[in-house]
Amino acid sequence: MKSYKELPDDAGSNIIGQVTAQANRISKRLSSIKHTVAIMSGKGGVGKSAITTNLATALTLKGYSVGIVDADINGPSIAKMIGVRNAKLEFTLSGVQPAISSLGTKIISMDLLLSEDDAPVMWNAQTQKDAFTWRSTMEVGALREFIGDTEWGDLDYLLLDLPPGSDRLPNVVELIPNLGGVVVVTIPSEVSHLIVQKSITMASDILNVPIIGVVENMAYYVCKHCGEHESLFSDQDTPENTFSKISLGRIPFDPKLSSCSDNGTPYLNEYHDTPVTIAITEIAQKIQDFFNT
Amino acid sequence: MKFLCIDCDTAMKFKDVTRPEQGSVTAVFECPDCFTEIAMYLNPSETQMLKSLDLQLGGKSEAAQPMQMVRSQLETAKKDSFTNISSENANSETGEGGKCPFTSVISDAFDENFEPTSEPEQSGLKWTPEALERLERIPSFVRPMAKMGIESFAKDNGHTEITGEIMDAARGNFPTQF
Repeated sequence: MKSYKELPDDAGSNIIGQVTAQANRISKRLSSIKHTVAIMSGKGGVGKSAITTNLATALTLKGYSVGIVDADINGPSIAKMIGVRNAKLEFTLSGVQPAISSLGTKIISMDLLLSEDDAPVMWNAQTQKDAFTWRSTMEVGALREFIGDTEWGDLDYLLLDLPPGSDRLPNVVELIPNLGGVVVVTIPSEVSHLIVQKSITMASDILNVPIIGVVENMAYYVCKHCGEHESLFSDQDTPENTFSKISLGRIPFDPKLSSCSDNGTPYLNEYHDTPVTIAITEIAQKIQDFFNT
Repeated sequence: MKFLCIDCDTAMKFKDVTRPEQGSVTAVFECPDCFTEIAMYLNPSETQMLKSLDLQLGGKSEAAQPMQMVRSQLETAKKDSFTNISSENANSETGEGGKCPFTSVISDAFDENFEPTSEPEQSGLKWTPEALERLERIPSFVRPMAKMGIESFAKDNGHTEITGEIMDAARGNFPTQF
């Protein structure tokens, strides 16, 4: 009796060919994009999406063409933060036109497709029983289509805003084997750093993806009366201590960053000379330098 | 996935798929030498897994259209997310007369409006007006799942009619309130 390897094909389904065609489709789409950057964190709630939105804004304001893939399929927030939540997506046979912010940043997000504010991502199925066996694959399929089927055009930077944790990065690397690098966002707490370290290990040691650097968000706040810097969290355990060699910078806490996100107006386009704007602009410059050196 | 005709020691070929029943799909394979046929049954979870990978038994007859999987499979989708989808542009693989028989069959399996040629399996349970009214209050995107679960609970407990009391009793089995 013939063995598996001795049989010539898979009964005519050509599964390998179908998977290769999917990969080629993404590869072709990415050929017009110079740099791909995944923005990730260890824990949720560190401000990763707000940082992604404002890094994209900083790069856009510098004159670069920038796109964002909201890779947080179940918790998409980029569309709201950048003010395109009501945008319609134009369908063409060659791809879907992304939403475009007032500054020209291109965005694709699951949030643009959901029916209601409180609607979760639910996939058609005869039964949701045993959905754990396929839901994650569905999400990766959605991400594959977001990356490969969006008409990005020529981009200098494509930022991918990943959900919290390190588990989505391997999916992204499978879809984008030449991922340009990873920016890791944390806050100054031991708990966050502990988890962030896992993300860094996953990226650099396991997936061999370059680490562009670590961003410390909510690093301190500036007293509006005396201008002094005060800590919000631990004084001692900053990324400059823990991740000194790969720190991209520290972003102070500013409640206006949150209100801008809520209003869909990128902070950097509203406030030009604040400590937050200066810090994010410097980080954007370091990302440019990373790719230019 | 490969199939071997043991008698002929020959690889079998994909032949056809049959209409789905309750989410399951049957794929038929044939030996090219002796023409023996076998049927492979996919249960709903396996069918769903195949859909999620956007792969098709028997091979694809045409390339997938942009965001085909998301457009056809997102149950909680906004109806007008996409503009410029005309009948010419509409995806032929989303249950609208697909060219690939397997894909259209798969789509049919999950299309609430699809009317199968054979009589679908009925639950055999009656719903009181009060229970139906409460069912309508369940968010649309989880209603089919909740309905199926309530009916399953009722059957398992020997009921033939679903009342408010049975819904109350079944409530503990679901994450949503009704």
